Amino acid sequence: MHSIYNFATGPLCWAAFIIFIGGLLLKFISMVRRARSSEPYIFGYFSPYFGLRSVIAWLIPFVPRNGKLNPVFTVVTFAFHICLLVAPLFLMAHVMLLQEGVGMHWGTLSDATADVMTVIVLVGLAYFAYRRCTDPTAKYVTGPKEWVLLALVAAPFLTGFLAYHQIFDYQVMVVLHILSGEAMLIAIPFTWLSHMLLFPMVRMYQGSEFGGVRHVKDW
Amino acid sequence: MKKTILLTLLAVAASLLYLLPAFCQEDMRVIEPTAFENPQRPAAVFNHDAHNEKAGIEGDCYLCHHSEGKPDPDNTSEGTPCSDCHAVKAEKGKTGLMQAYHKMCQDCHQAKGKGPIACGECHVRN
Ligand code: HEC
Ligand code: HEC
Ligand code: HEC
Ligand code: HEC
Repeated sequence: MHSIYNFATGPLCWAAFIIFIGGLLLKFISMVRRARSSEPYIFGYFSPYFGLRSVIAWLIPFVPRNGKLNPVFTVVTFAFHICLLVAPLFLMAHVMLLQEGVGMHWGTLSDATADVMTVIVLVGLAYFAYRRCTDPTAKYVTGPKEWVLLALVAAPFLTGFLAYHQIFDYQVMVVLHILSGEAMLIAIPFTWLSHMLLFPMVRMYQGSEFGGVRHVKDW
Repeated sequence: MKKTILLTLLAVAASLLYLLPAFCQEDMRVIEPTAFENPQRPAAVFNHDAHNEKAGIEGDCYLCHHSEGKPDPDNTSEGTPCSDCHAVKAEKGKTGLMQAYHKMCQDCHQAKGKGPIACGECHVRN
């Protein structure tokens, strides 16, 4: 237990975060480079105002037309993404480990709140899986890779839930939880999970063009 | 009549059996300081005497019961709860109560390569 736990929470954890942040940075640089060589005119009308306006509009539920068309999807996807980001970032145990490891710390949720948020994440993922089976357009873009990625996102939340409630063998579960969380972080820059970076980039780009050039809203 | 006496005696004996655990309070099985008003986790398992025997530190009370923050065989504090000196909300530069337990317990487990280090190994649910 000691050697595997210390390896997973030590060197592996550092590696995962370096790959996650470094990978997203490289991705950002390569996207900007590509735009510069293939569509250099973007930089002529790039506008932080119109760009951010678009980001913000898309971050408010039911403001984008798309959201109004699919109310159930909108509610699930907002609840899912909020819980997905907030629960792990403000989980007491995570912040505590960070404090013990590198001395950084910030506010935390109660364990009970984080528990509910974890369930919301898992329910959201179940809904996305269901939609990928039933909605024809979603089904069309769903292959084995999509299922692997859905499972990869579910794994740290499911194992975290089971470890917290000490269902099944605790030591096995907590190690699986740490490893699957690291696997998910590492996968983000190299898969469509990188929409966490691409979403604001695409909105900044579209918002600039639609707001500054075409003078229409892009939501 | 005899039957009633017998039954009464039996009843008294039975209730004494139930009271027994109360006399065995000496045997500490969990650490449950009242200082944490809204505990987030189940109390940590710590069978005081059995733990120290298994860890081979029965005679070394000073390792945990310090007075100044450093293990010192000549300056110990057996019987004084950690919370007497460690506040839940510690002043700057001082060790808070939760950190005190976590650091003391886990530093030794890490040093010895034995004993619990993950949350649920100490905060065991029943
Ligand atoms: C591994 C660390 C450790 C060692 C070694 C240790 N203790 Fe303790 N002891 C504790 C902790 C932790 C508590 C609980 C303190 C609290 O309530 O905050 C405790 C509590 C006590 C108490 C109070 C008991 C109660 O029921 O409240 C006494 C008395 C005590 N220890 C005596 C001793 C003596 C004597 C020794 C040496 C033979 C010893 N301890 C060795 C950790 C240790
Ligand atoms: C009689 C007072 C007293 C008692 C009782 C006491 N401590 Fe301390 N402890 C101190 C002082 C003083 C310090 C040094 C200042 C600080 O870090 O808060 C300290 C420091 C510590 C540290 C930090 C040491 C380091 O190397 O940084 C830990 C961990 C700790 N105590 C754990 C405990 C635990 C666990 C108990 C109960 C078993 C306990 N203490 C009981 C006075 C006490
Ligand atoms: C000075 C060293 C030391 C300190 C301090 C210490 N431990 Fe331990 N502990 C050990 C060792 C060594 C073992 C492993 C014993 C074994 O399995 O051989 C252990 C094992 C345990 C176990 C598992 C017991 C079992 O039956 O397998 C628990 C639970 C535990 N420690 C809790 C605590 C808690 C809680 C504290 C803090 C109050 C603490 N320990 C402080 C050395 C220490
Ligand atoms: C070596 C044993 C040990 C380990 C490992 C451990 N703790 Fe503790 N923890 C304790 C002890 C002893 C206390 C004192 C009070 C108690 O027993 O609840 C405590 C107290 C706490 C408290 C304050 C009381 C409460 O319930 O609100 C929290 C919160 C906590 N621990 C969370 C965690 C988390 C999260 C982890 C994993 C990152 C963890 N602990 C790992 C032994 C441990």
